[in-house]
Amino acid sequence: MPETVRAIVHRRRMLTSRVCRLEFVRADATPFAPVPPGAHVTVQTPDGHSRSYSVTDVTAEGALAISVLREPSGRGGSISLVDGLTEGDEVRLGAPVDAFPLAPADDYLLIAGGIGITAIRSHYRHLMATGHTSVRVLYLVRTRREAAYVEEFRADPRVTVHESAASGRFDLWPLFETPSDQTHVYCCAGEALTEQVRRLTMHWRPSSIHFESFLGVDAVGALAAPFEAVWQPSGRRVAVDAGTSLLRALRGAGIPVASSCESGTCGTCVLALIAGEAEHRDLVLDPGERESRIISCTSRAVGSEIVVGPLTR
Amino acid sequence: MAAAAVSTGVVTALAVYPVKGLSAQRLDSVRLNAGEGVPGDRAWALARADGIYRAGTRRPVPKAEFHVLVRDERLAGLQTRLDEGSVLTVSVGGHPVLRADLDTGRGRGQAEEFFARVLDLPVGAEPVVARESGRRFTDVSVVSDAMMNAVSFVNLASVRALEERIGSPVDPFRFRANVYVDGLPAWSERSIVGGRIRVGEVALEATLTTKRCAATEVNPHDARRDLPVPRLLQQHFGHVEMGVYGEVREPGEVRIGDPVVWDSDA
Repeated sequence: MPETVRAIVHRRRMLTSRVCRLEFVRADATPFAPVPPGAHVTVQTPDGHSRSYSVTDVTAEGALAISVLREPSGRGGSISLVDGLTEGDEVRLGAPVDAFPLAPADDYLLIAGGIGITAIRSHYRHLMATGHTSVRVLYLVRTRREAAYVEEFRADPRVTVHESAASGRFDLWPLFETPSDQTHVYCCAGEALTEQVRRLTMHWRPSSIHFESFLGVDAVGALAAPFEAVWQPSGRRVAVDAGTSLLRALRGAGIPVASSCESGTCGTCVLALIAGEAEHRDLVLDPGERESRIISCTSRAVGSEIVVGPLTR
Repeated sequence: MAAAAVSTGVVTALAVYPVKGLSAQRLDSVRLNAGEGVPGDRAWALARADGIYRAGTRRPVPKAEFHVLVRDERLAGLQTRLDEGSVLTVSVGGHPVLRADLDTGRGRGQAEEFFARVLDLPVGAEPVVARESGRRFTDVSVVSDAMMNAVSFVNLASVRALEERIGSPVDPFRFRANVYVDGLPAWSERSIVGGRIRVGEVALEATLTTKRCAATEVNPHDARRDLPVPRLLQQHFGHVEMGVYGEVREPGEVRIGDPVVWDSDA
């Protein structure tokens, strides 16, 4: 894990029978700086587990808090943190990652499922602190007793807490029936609720619907990182973000590149690879060809930059 | 594979795709006329605003000029159907969200606004509802006008062969065929090009195997690009084909349950 800092468990408190709030201070006693709303942090425990958690808040005294749901059926990271740490223990923390940022919007709908409240509460506190008034929070829980931070929202007209054990499944459709380009939706929840929100917002602008996710995973499951492509004939620089292929980024910049299968099998979109190292993900080029060519629909740059151009045969 | 010259199977499903890239509509039977495809198949499309499609064109338009699943997998998250040849209904999670008659200017405007939102297109880049009488926007329309009107077949035994090899279910509707057949040897469709396909009373000439693109990566149920189908085909079978096209030579009605004969010697 790059760039970690040593930190001490300053305070440990069970918020519910299964949710533990852990506050860390830096071992060198300097305060943690405020983090962007929705940021997450990677925690490395003494027994070697490394897991990412949303930063719940940074306290006035500069302690960084996370809230961990103890999951007996998980991979062991949450049990290691909840059961294994006591006040005074040392961990290592990565730098906070601004992975679930708030976009500017006129209206916000924030949806938390269970422990997802930790990121959503961070968004909500930020929006309140910066003077936004058009904000709705939906906090879906099984029971209030199991719901972290639920008492904070008592009597808050902006927050709806729904207990599914008592009232059944919440009907989300009225929230999404009429799409609004002014509203941005943020959802941090388990798989089932996340999928439900995704399915019920297919008629919305996808750029208005945001889900917490910890990894940049590309279309077919491999990790993808952003890079910059230089189109050699013109020297034009084109940004290729993690969710876009080199082919689409070039086309988006008005550079015509022919394509057919768009899945790395036909070779139509081949380009000359002029400089930079490529991560070849096609099934077309042989090792010799890979020195000087790249299939732009699936292959990417290894580093931050790659220079490509039309192939002159 | 040493396929028998004649193999017999059965029609298990029939489908039409009235709007290119949108939902399948299942049929119980379909009338096929010589030289024509499934009535209404890919009669409509959503053309890219910055593309080469212009109303009135009589020339084939490559699929890259349309909003289709190759790039816009979100389209699979909508449940759509076309009734009376032009009335498009779109639902989300079983809730209707659009009803527009594409034969009217108002309806086309509603659809263009709707799909601009779904596809996150900025003002001015709204898709263009495309329709050209006598033409259809099939992928192979760029091969020839005869191929534009071909009927697409998928052999379920080949889909199962892929499933078994990759250890994961593959919904046959990823392949968006008109006719699904079963009871035939896996991959037997690859050796009938030039031969005959007989379905019930209809005879077709098998003209081309279907090379697959990234549209098949999209799961038709949840709109996730979750399986790299062309890559898996290439890795496991050494080709990227799934299905075959046939041009109708002898007309007639095709029904689910009809016998299918691949006759490679015809």
